[in-house]
Order: sequence, then C-alpha cells, then structure tokens
Amino acid sequence: MLEPKTTPAQAPASTKRGPRVIRRGGREHTVLLGIGAVLAVLVILWGGQLDPFNQGQLTRVAIFAIAIVGLNIATGYIGLLSVGHSAFFGLGAYTTGVLVVKYEWDPLMTIPAALVVCLVVGLLVGLPALRIRGLYLAMVTLAFGVAFPEIVAHFDDLTGGAEGMTIRRQQLRPPEWSGFTLGERSQWVYWLCVVVLLIVMWIAHNMVRGRYGMAMIAVRENEIAAASSGINIAVMKVTAFGVSGAVTGVAGSLFAMYIGSLFAEGSFTLLAGITLLIGLVIGGEATRSGPLVGALAVVFVPYYAAELGQGQVAAVLFAVVLIFVIFVAPAGIVGGIAKAVRKVVVVTPRIPRKPEGTQQS
Amino acid sequence: MDIFLSRLFSGMTAGSIYVLIALALVVVFRSSSTINFAQGEFALFTTYVAWWLTERGLNIWVAIPPIIVLGFVMGALAERFLIRPVRKRDETAILIVALGLFTGLNGLDGWIWGSDEKVFPAMFPSGEDDYVSVLGARLHYDSILVWIFAAAVVIGLTVLFKRTSLGLEMRAVATNPESAALCGIKVGRILTISWGLSAAIGSLAGVMLVPTIPPGQLNLASMFQVLIFASAAALLGGLDSVKGAVVGGMVMGIGLAMINGYATFIGGSFSLTFALILIVVVLVVRPTGLYGTRRLERV
Repeated sequence: MLEPKTTPAQAPASTKRGPRVIRRGGREHTVLLGIGAVLAVLVILWGGQLDPFNQGQLTRVAIFAIAIVGLNIATGYIGLLSVGHSAFFGLGAYTTGVLVVKYEWDPLMTIPAALVVCLVVGLLVGLPALRIRGLYLAMVTLAFGVAFPEIVAHFDDLTGGAEGMTIRRQQLRPPEWSGFTLGERSQWVYWLCVVVLLIVMWIAHNMVRGRYGMAMIAVRENEIAAASSGINIAVMKVTAFGVSGAVTGVAGSLFAMYIGSLFAEGSFTLLAGITLLIGLVIGGEATRSGPLVGALAVVFVPYYAAELGQGQVAAVLFAVVLIFVIFVAPAGIVGGIAKAVRKVVVVTPRIPRKPEGTQQS
Repeated sequence: MDIFLSRLFSGMTAGSIYVLIALALVVVFRSSSTINFAQGEFALFTTYVAWWLTERGLNIWVAIPPIIVLGFVMGALAERFLIRPVRKRDETAILIVALGLFTGLNGLDGWIWGSDEKVFPAMFPSGEDDYVSVLGARLHYDSILVWIFAAAVVIGLTVLFKRTSLGLEMRAVATNPESAALCGIKVGRILTISWGLSAAIGSLAGVMLVPTIPPGQLNLASMFQVLIFASAAALLGGLDSVKGAVVGGMVMGIGLAMINGYATFIGGSFSLTFALILIVVVLVVRPTGLYGTRRLERV
C-alpha cells in the first residue's frame, strides 16, 4: 500500500551520492514491504474496534476508494475522462436496492449482480469512446451523470422514484457464517468493504502492472503510436470503460448496504461524479494508492469543512485544493510524494533470470 | 392549434436560453478549442448576485448591467489565472480546472446564499393576464422579452465576428493561434476577452432563465440541466458556429417542448435522457454538427 516502494525506478543509480538503490525482491525490499503490510493490517484492525460513527467514516472511505479505483482505470490509466461515474455508483446501488427489496435477494449476492449490470452498461457507454475523444467524451459522461437521476425517477415503480428507496434493516442482516448479529451490522459492513477494497486493489494492481496496464498507458500517452505497436485501441478503450464502470458499481452496491436508503437526487448527482474525479486527481491519477488517499479526502474534507460554515464550504475547499494540486503537483498527492521519495530511495526491477539456451540481450 | 402554439412559444422561450448558453460555449470554443464546463455555474453565480442586488431594493433592470460586467470580469480572470497556465499542458488539465470552477462556484453560491430556493423577481409583468393572444394561444410578455434579448445577442455577435477587427482577430486565433501570433495579434488578450465575453453572455442568460422556466425559483441545481441542453444544442449546430448555436438551441427548445407535450406515452419527463442520446448520436454520426467546420489533425 505504500507507494514509494513499488514505483518503478526512473533514474539509474548514479555513482555519485545518488539515491539509495533497493532491488525489487531483495532483502531490504521485502522488509519494507513487510513493514507496509503490518502497518496496513494494524490500521484495518484499529478500524475494526472503533466506535460506530468513526467506523462508519472508515467504511465510507473504503467504499469511495473502491469507486475511485474504478474511475482510475478509465480516467487515470487510459485517459478517458469520465465526469459521470456517479451514474455507475448509483446504478450499482440501485441494483442492490432493487434486488434486495423487490426480489428479496441475499445482499451479498447482489454484489456480483451489480458488477455485471455495471459492466454491461459501462461497455455500452464506452462504445462512443471509439469515435469520441477527450473533451467530447467528457461531455457524454457529463450528460450521462446528469441524466441518471431522471432515469431513476422514471422507473419509479422499481426504484421508488423521487421519494427514494429504503432497504429494511432486517433485509440487510449479516449472513449466519459471519458471526455478526443484526445489531453488529455496521461492523459487518466495515469488514465487507475492507475485504472488497483489498481484492479490488489487488486486481487493479495486477491489471496495471501487467501487459494490459502497459497497453493502457501507451494508449493514453499516444494513441497513434500505441496502435502502430499493435495495440487494439478499440478493444482496450471499451473494456477499460466497462471494467471501470463495473468496479465503481461494486462500490455503489456496498454503499447501498452501508447507507440503507437510496435517494438519486441526493447521492448520485453530477456533483457526486465530480467529487469522485476530484478525489482521483487529488490522490493521484494513474497511481495505485492514489484512490485511497483521494477517498480519505472525499470523506474527511467535507466532515471538517462542515465546522467552518454551511455544507457547501466543502465544495469550495475541494475546488481550491483541486486547482492547487493541478498547478503544483499534477500527479496528485501520491504522485508528488513518490517523486520526492525517489530522490532518496529508488527501487530497481529485479534482475531477469537468464533463460536457458538463449542469449540475454 | 392554440395548444400547439403555446407549446411552440414555450419551446422557443426555453430555446432562446439554450441559444444564449450555447453561444457562450461557442465563443469559448472558437477561441480556445475547449468546452467550458463551468459556463453554467458562472451564470448561476452572477444570477445569485443579481438576486442579492434586487433583495437590496435595486430594480432588476438596474441590476443587469453590473452583473454583465461582473460576468465578463469573472470569465476574463478565470482564463488569465486558471486556464492559461495549464493550457499548454493538455486538454484534461483544462477540463479538470473547469470542473474545479464548477464545484467551487456552486459551493460558493451555497456558502454565501444558502441552499434554499430563492424567488427571483420578474423582469416584466408576467401575471396571468399579461399576455397577447395569438390565434388563441397566450404569448406572455416575458417570453417576447427573452426572444428579443436572444436575437440582440445573436446579431451583436454576428456583427462582432464579421464586421469588427476584434472579431477578425478572434477568428484568426481560433483558426491558428501560432499564425495569428506571428501576424501580431496578442493571442492571450484575445483569449481573455473571449472568455469574458462568453461569461457575460451567460450572465444575461442566467437572469432571464430563472423567471421563465418553472418553477421560477433559483436554486443551486438550476444550471445543470440548462448546461446539458445548451451543450447538446451547441454540438448539434457545430461547436464553432454561431448559426449552429441558434439552430441547435431552437431545435432543442422546441423539440423538447413538443416531445414532453405530445409524446405522453413515454410518461414523465425524459428531457435529459433525450439530450444525452442526441449528444451521443451527433458525436458518433457527425462530430462537426450541422454547421461546424471540420478540423484536420496531422498524424
């Protein structure tokens, strides 16, 4: 989870007093990774025994982190700026809400359902991305985000329309095997969100570090060059958008379980979508722990800003921080820290093992 | 017939507002090839200022000139100090700064004036009896006023672009900033003026929007929908065409009024969804819109 250790090295180790070099997979690297893992486990355990309010805040952090991880795939890595990811968040939430309330599904089973629904819609919304780029795609997603509450209101027999939809407490009972009682629901949701967050971050990590991730970055940096290197841009863009929507949909599904009542005009408006994007930019686009930092900002900035004045202060603060970040640290907080740490410590890739019978180039 | 006419009139009134905001988008796009997502929120802010001035006892008509100036100053300052520093970097940075302005201004409105709805004073008598009868349909005075304002702005902009040296310089910058700079045009100044002009048009639209569109009250979300409709209008007409903005805005206004009036089988309002579909279809089928010029990209 600590970014500096895992950022690819940029500068080769110089002979003069350069940064300290750590080899990936070496002893120092393993120790640092171990310390990071222990710290992460401690933080998670600490969160597990907090009082309900603060634990709820951490649950929200986990939920928004998942949502921003999703947004990061489309916006951070492949460069498809999406303003309307609030719609996927809402779609996931309503999938869970409708399935639990109307069809009496087990809440846990609705997470994969939300994933599939949002994947399909994401692929559909991503289709225009084949011909539409940058500015224009942002506009399509903006319109998608604005239109979402209207669509929810339209299917009011399913979604409760403008009055919203309430999931009864009884229906969100933790499953038997978890050992949590109905009274400990917030604990259950906390652990569920943390586990899903870890899984999502692990998947995103693997996706980004692999061939697919490199292809995504290539598309973002220069589409024409990427295409001429044999990357199928159409497939990349559409699948990235679909996966991105699906992950954010999972976050929405968890949000429905956490909050218990859905209200499209409140939770899933355009402003929510912009907030996700702000979280991503503040945390750091195209970084793996940026979404977590962004989620902390998204949850706690409004909380502390509320003491300064009316609720809207948070939006002003966000705007100021956002513009500050864009000007001062375009790679976001995580990117900025990683850059600073690279002056002290760099991590080099491990030495590839020499394959038998071939010449190493 | 009279129902049709009254729907046509209300469509034209809403359309006039879309035309104005679409023109504001066009003015920015022509000069800096970007869409100002914060356009609606600039207008909302100045509209709140106008409301505040009238609460202080100022006549609404007296309040209009200062808020147009305020709009111009806001737009110009935003371009000079927020957009220009990131302009060279990439498109995404500009969009994100614009989105920052979007939430920031929206939040600022709420911070200063609260999030409850404000009753905006009418600019023209707009009671039940203030109308002229056209073939049985009621044509309210305030609708006529909005049409006149929209027409005046369209004519003004056309004259500006076609007949003045400032307009010529703006067109030159839009076509090719480097060549324009080599010809001695101060590109930066032109961009600042364009953004200011665009925000000023938006301010005018904001003051007229609130009284004419039900429920006739000002709230923080007043501009979201208008921005989407205006964007759809501008895209439909072609983002760099004044004529396109006019046609697009009117098509949107009248079209939505007719769909919501006659296509009752869909049930409820689907306006935003239609706008979304229109945006996607235009972008996929004909990205330059009806009257836009095709842009070439060198590989």
